[in-house]
Amino acid sequence: MIDSLLAPGKVATAGMRAQSERLLVISENIANAQSVGKTPGADPYSRKTVSFKSEVDNVSGATMVQVADYGTDKAPFRLELDPGNPAADKDGFVKMPNVNLMVEMADMREANRVYQANLQVFRQARELVSMTIDLMRT
Amino acid sequence: MIDAISKTSLLPELQMQPASAPTINKSGAVGGFDSVLKSVAADTVNSLYKSEMTAVAGINGKATVQQVVEQVMAAERTLQTTIAVRDKVVSAYQEISRMAI
Repeated sequence: MIDSLLAPGKVATAGMRAQSERLLVISENIANAQSVGKTPGADPYSRKTVSFKSEVDNVSGATMVQVADYGTDKAPFRLELDPGNPAADKDGFVKMPNVNLMVEMADMREANRVYQANLQVFRQARELVSMTIDLMRT
Repeated sequence: MIDAISKTSLLPELQMQPASAPTINKSGAVGGFDSVLKSVAADTVNSLYKSEMTAVAGINGKATVQQVVEQVMAAERTLQTTIAVRDKVVSAYQEISRMAI
């Protein structure tokens, strides 16, 4: 059993890690918001999703967070009229990725906030430990 | 990067430092406390070493920023504790040496 003031640091670290994975997925989605297929009628980039799960750490006994798995969004692709594109079908429509920049931005903001919250937990735990150790001085 | 700590030549020296302090008071039975201090010092060195290794791994891109920060914070905490204990021990010996006989 680990010191309960030291465990929050580990849990917050796991949380920050999970959120940075999420940020990675969001950045991939945004970067590929215009990635279409190469051949006529080919499927474009489909939005990636990430989900988390709780995981009990054997060493500390604390419940950490972990990336459960990555998935793809099943939402239909947006059709855009662009006859000159190599990916255009016979009617001139190109399948565009099902990435909505607004959704990605909101998701990114949320990941940012959760990361900051974890950071605050880390800071708080560290400060408490520090203050307790400082009792030994003077 | 703290260059001096990563040098292994310094490690035995660091371990010996607190261990030599109780020898001043060897006439009194402080054998147990001596070994406790020794293990605390060794613990500190280990923790610092671990944080150094993680920092290096982080620079090489093999550890995440969070891991590096966590290890460095753990090392800082251990060092803080050791310094606090050392200060207490030193002041205790000073008290004893100042005692009127």
